[in-house]
Amino acid sequence: MGRVARGDEAAFGELVGRYGSRLLGVARRLLGSRADAEDAVQRALLQCYLGAGTYRSEWAVSTWLYRILTNVCMDELRRRRSRSGELEPPARSDPPGEHLDLRRALGRVPTEARVLLALRYVDGLSYGELAKIRGISINTVKSQLQRGKGLLRAALTKGGTA
Amino acid sequence: MKTDRIDDILARYFQPDAEPGDLAKRVLAAARESARETGRLLDKISIQATPSGVSLIRAERLEKPATAAARKLCDRAREELAEYFQGKRAFFSVPVDLSGAPNFQKKVLAAAGRIPFGEVRPYAWVAQRIGHPRAVRAVGTALGRNPVPFIVPCHRVLQTGGGLGGYLFGTDVKGRLLSLERTTPVYEGCTSTHIVCRVGCIHGRHMRPDNRVVFASVDDARSIGYRPCKVCKPARAA
Repeated sequence: MGRVARGDEAAFGELVGRYGSRLLGVARRLLGSRADAEDAVQRALLQCYLGAGTYRSEWAVSTWLYRILTNVCMDELRRRRSRSGELEPPARSDPPGEHLDLRRALGRVPTEARVLLALRYVDGLSYGELAKIRGISINTVKSQLQRGKGLLRAALTKGGTA
Repeated sequence: MKTDRIDDILARYFQPDAEPGDLAKRVLAAARESARETGRLLDKISIQATPSGVSLIRAERLEKPATAAARKLCDRAREELAEYFQGKRAFFSVPVDLSGAPNFQKKVLAAAGRIPFGEVRPYAWVAQRIGHPRAVRAVGTALGRNPVPFIVPCHRVLQTGGGLGGYLFGTDVKGRLLSLERTTPVYEGCTSTHIVCRVGCIHGRHMRPDNRVVFASVDDARSIGYRPCKVCKPARAA
């Protein structure tokens, strides 16, 4: 990160190479479409590049990147909500079946729990890392994940997938 | 947490996505562009105020404020505008003085002022809102003469088909403001105080960057234990 803060473009390229696909995975599952996810990741990486000087070494780079990315995605979700009054991500090109059921079910999970689920399952982040990313306690992380999974289980059982 | 079938389904669903090869290049190009744009608009602007509020914002040179109170308001407006142009402010708290505007224009500006940050409405919506649905052209003229652009957000009013329409500072500036508002968050929380504010609140100014989290709504913030700020009252703005 020190090299990125000094404007080293090659170091920034390495950073994007290392984390880009995981960031896109999270953004796509939160925002629904590949185009919106790329836009969000691009904005997050821009903030990361411009704000590299404020990075604190006690943070893992991935935790710091996920914090920035979730901030961008959260605001995009707010904008969608104010536009349409609904929470569900837009339709994406998943094949019918399990993914489609899950996408629908995730639309019923509260935003904070949905973000935590995405971070947990795309990158296997620990409770401690999730707590740091959203600025909450580990107990709140656990209860949000539990609640999210409970809602998913109920929705999928009703739909016959789980 | 016990692993079950839901975990398997989620693990399959949340696979990392392939990253486009030119992502780093695109970000670096955007960074260069953003550095060029920062501050350019603010340099062009002159501000005038009366002791009760900001009364005029224009691109040409204006007379200096006559009183200390007015000077203070001009400085405050310039500071808030600088934060707004940098994507660090989603509302203005500096008062405006529209006492010189005709009544029709006051109504038009009040309606434009109610368009939420980051959203747009057609000229016809404003006309309807002020009870003169056929006065669309007059609405356009009144907005075009907005004495305090940016603070009263006439840039959020577009043509019915989505065209930008006119703007005092040019349509390219109007487009840039709209895209700026699309990328500026509205609600931010502080991880050390667990207070959620509107972006631009005085509390947020002293927040360390690594203490900052963005929320999709005040209710979402509440759901994980944050409380709304008593100064900027984000719930009331929602």
